[in-house]
Amino acid sequence: MTRRVVSLCFVFLAVAGIAAAQTIPIQTVPLVPADQFDIFPSYTLAMGGVSIAVPDTLYDPFLNPATGARHRAARFFSAPTFYSVSRNAGGGRTLPLGAFGSIGTWFGGLALALQQVDASRSPAPFPPSPLPLAGGSSVAPGPANLGPAPDTHGNALAFAMIGKTLPGSGLSLGGSVSWAKLRALDGVDLLYPGSARVTQFGETVDARLGLLKEWEGDRSFEAIVLHERFRMTHDVTFLDTFWNPGTQQFFQSARLERNRDFSKRWGVQVKYERPLAASGWRIGWLATANRMSQPNTPNTDALNIPQDPGRANAYELGVGVSRTYGPAVFGMDVVYQPIWSTTWAEASTPTTTSGGGLIPLGGRTIENGFHFSNALFRMGFSHELVRSVSKTAALQLGLAVRSVHYSLAQRDFVEVATRRLEQSWLEWTPTWGLSLRFPELELRYRGRVTHGTDRLVATPNQFIGIADARPLGIFPPSSLPPTLDGVHVITHQFSVSLPLR
Amino acid sequence: MITRIVGMAYLGLLVLATGCDGWKTPSEPPASIDAELRQSLGRWGTVPIGPTPTQAPALVDLGQALMFDKVLSGNRDIACATCHNPVSHAGDGLALSIGTGGSGLGPSRTLGPGRQFIPRNAPTLLNTGLNNPYLFWDGRVSGFGFGGGGPFQTPAGAALPSGLPTLLAAQAMFPVMNREEMRGVPGDHDRFGNVNELAAFGDSDFVGLWQAVMRRLLAIPEYVSKFNAAFPGTPTSALGFQHAATAIAAFETQALTKTNSPFDRYLQHDDAAMTTEQKRGALLFFGDKTRCASCHGGPLLGGQNFANAGVPQLGPGVGSGTPLDLGRGELFNQQEFYKFAFRATPLRNVELTAPYMHDGAFSDLDAVLKHYNDVPTALREYDASQLPPALQQTYHGEDATITAVLANLDGRLAQPLHLTEVEIGELVAFLKSLTDPSARDLTSLIPARVPSGLPVQE
Repeated sequence: MTRRVVSLCFVFLAVAGIAAAQTIPIQTVPLVPADQFDIFPSYTLAMGGVSIAVPDTLYDPFLNPATGARHRAARFFSAPTFYSVSRNAGGGRTLPLGAFGSIGTWFGGLALALQQVDASRSPAPFPPSPLPLAGGSSVAPGPANLGPAPDTHGNALAFAMIGKTLPGSGLSLGGSVSWAKLRALDGVDLLYPGSARVTQFGETVDARLGLLKEWEGDRSFEAIVLHERFRMTHDVTFLDTFWNPGTQQFFQSARLERNRDFSKRWGVQVKYERPLAASGWRIGWLATANRMSQPNTPNTDALNIPQDPGRANAYELGVGVSRTYGPAVFGMDVVYQPIWSTTWAEASTPTTTSGGGLIPLGGRTIENGFHFSNALFRMGFSHELVRSVSKTAALQLGLAVRSVHYSLAQRDFVEVATRRLEQSWLEWTPTWGLSLRFPELELRYRGRVTHGTDRLVATPNQFIGIADARPLGIFPPSSLPPTLDGVHVITHQFSVSLPLR
Repeated sequence: MITRIVGMAYLGLLVLATGCDGWKTPSEPPASIDAELRQSLGRWGTVPIGPTPTQAPALVDLGQALMFDKVLSGNRDIACATCHNPVSHAGDGLALSIGTGGSGLGPSRTLGPGRQFIPRNAPTLLNTGLNNPYLFWDGRVSGFGFGGGGPFQTPAGAALPSGLPTLLAAQAMFPVMNREEMRGVPGDHDRFGNVNELAAFGDSDFVGLWQAVMRRLLAIPEYVSKFNAAFPGTPTSALGFQHAATAIAAFETQALTKTNSPFDRYLQHDDAAMTTEQKRGALLFFGDKTRCASCHGGPLLGGQNFANAGVPQLGPGVGSGTPLDLGRGELFNQQEFYKFAFRATPLRNVELTAPYMHDGAFSDLDAVLKHYNDVPTALREYDASQLPPALQQTYHGEDATITAVLANLDGRLAQPLHLTEVEIGELVAFLKSLTDPSARDLTSLIPARVPSGLPVQE
């Protein structure tokens, strides 16, 4: 287990997208990205998520609505999905229901999902138990009207897609909208160590326009334009400790702090795929660009995030190959993600610098320049173990490795100082799956476990006994700076898909 | 064939993945000064102070009159407010106080003929209403009820009357007992030439003296009215000096609690309340380099413990240690552990309450911090010429005294702190952030007159 103190400036904490592809994640600490929104059925996610040269007719329409044209028949699907974070650090479950269908040259799809997310805070009570002050004082009971925080919260998600194939041209166009009403993003409650309750509410909308062009010879070109808006509010209730001089006791008073986590993202992606001359081989390329702005980030002591804006430009270049060899399919993707991001903090009052200068109200006090060089490797294969007219059984295995490396150049205009930081980590995600296909339905199971990620842990401090003070003074404990504790995330998904007619 | 190769490669990677954390050691990350400071504050239990209980107006009115009335002193020449004067921020601005027989107010107050300095500095009364667990420099009045005397431990032991609501009220019972401060010595005559009847009581006759003071007060009809208004359920015949002390404490609590400093606002999550320099100073104060907070921590920023800070010895001395002042050691029969240890004072509004330390050896905060920066050296090199001329001759700078003080120096101060001039400046800036602006001018607390008709500010 890796355990580290977290004290970083951090950008773009967690932006939930229902469909994660084409949005490039930006993280400066390896907080576990719990698979909260990895909820739709897929052929290839059990193969490490290879996607550039391996089509996935189940999952692709959620990413590029134009690929819904590949659904030849109406199908219903459901994919109960469960994830859990190790060390009892969180979990959740989702039940999506949906259908794809087509009428003439038109095609469309609709999916709804209900999701339940467990509170991910440490089970240890916080604030900690009362301890006496010198003189026999103690902590008075906290506000009685602050009941226990609920253990779980629910989200509702919806996806709608419509498209049209232009006859004779091999061209399909589609548009989709994903919307989620959110009351729980996994792990957010851990951003507020020492809080008594975190109430989240907000929504995210993801709108996409997609194009699919298919040529003879199994060549295809895809293009996507997306816009995503994410608006979450965190109402954080802290129980502040005060000293009551009248009773000589510490007492606690509730304080509500409202934090907003807003972001907007524009993205484009183009992807080309074609067979290679050699039998069974295919190759694909993709290029993605994201521009993201975050006018509000949550102000959390855990990560020293200033409640000030930031923006980022993220790019992705990838190449993938696959080979189909009889009953087996092998795929591999290599993706490089260069990202440039800038965040800054603004002075809330005129601020004197250590050099004697004055930063006016609204002037920048700190500027962080991040440069990421991330890489993503995915590989996986699928092998049909049993193949007959009445049923097909296939085994899938895969591995995804994500390497994150960034350098930070921080300019502190108050201290008149420049700091530099290099950081890197790896995330390993083995995947596995099993599918059974019958004429009347299709059953799938897939699982994945992500290693190399962390979860914030706020550890209550031990009280400070001043051994050499006269007499002993004892102060109430507070929390130590939060640490990152290594965890892994396991996701299981069972999906069923059956033709509607 | 290809699937076999891929399968083998996959299994190999899987084995690798399960044994790999994938971490590289991070370099030092930058942290925000506010996050760092708030963590430090939490470490020392320094939390905001809630409101003090509202005091009954009649009680405060009585307490104000008593605080400024010289009738409480044996010679009718000194009031509580003489040494705890609003003009001097509820202190007197003197290194060592001047008690009965003296004349004048504040730093210009002078000794009376044949009198000597009170051995210790008059601490400010600001924020004494916050219920400090120890009062007086040696903590001889404390909130620990062992040794008799109800819930408080005081020099009066079991003679302390019941019904005192707070430790501050218990403390207010004692200055009238002190011969140098207020009571006077046998043979003294008051300002009108009358015999000082309070001086005639024995030093251990607490009850007799307190009754005598009450006789003086209740001989004044206006006081009878004020006492009856303040204690409506108590017949006049049942009034004792504990009622007077209760009223004095109520006035102190109501009028002299000053906890709206920039630092207090910062504690209540106003990050902009303090300047960056003050925050840097606070980081030093609560950090490991100085560990100031190990004595001056908690919600009151001190007041909970005692330390021998190697303060130069000045003045006439106290008790069996005379001419030295053994501090809490005198209280505990010169027990080595407490020798030269004095209460670590709460620091709110410290900017306003110079001179500093138990004997006022340092005239400003800069001098205090330079002393703490290297206590052994500073004590040996103490320059007594900074003291008022009348006090210079009372400085005990001989080697034996310095050696005795350093022999029992608090372990936290034995080694130099190696603070730079800039850091000392930042610490001073932090200490100035503890000032409640409303404490800067307390003159509105001075009444125009008192029931005895004695002069208020002379």
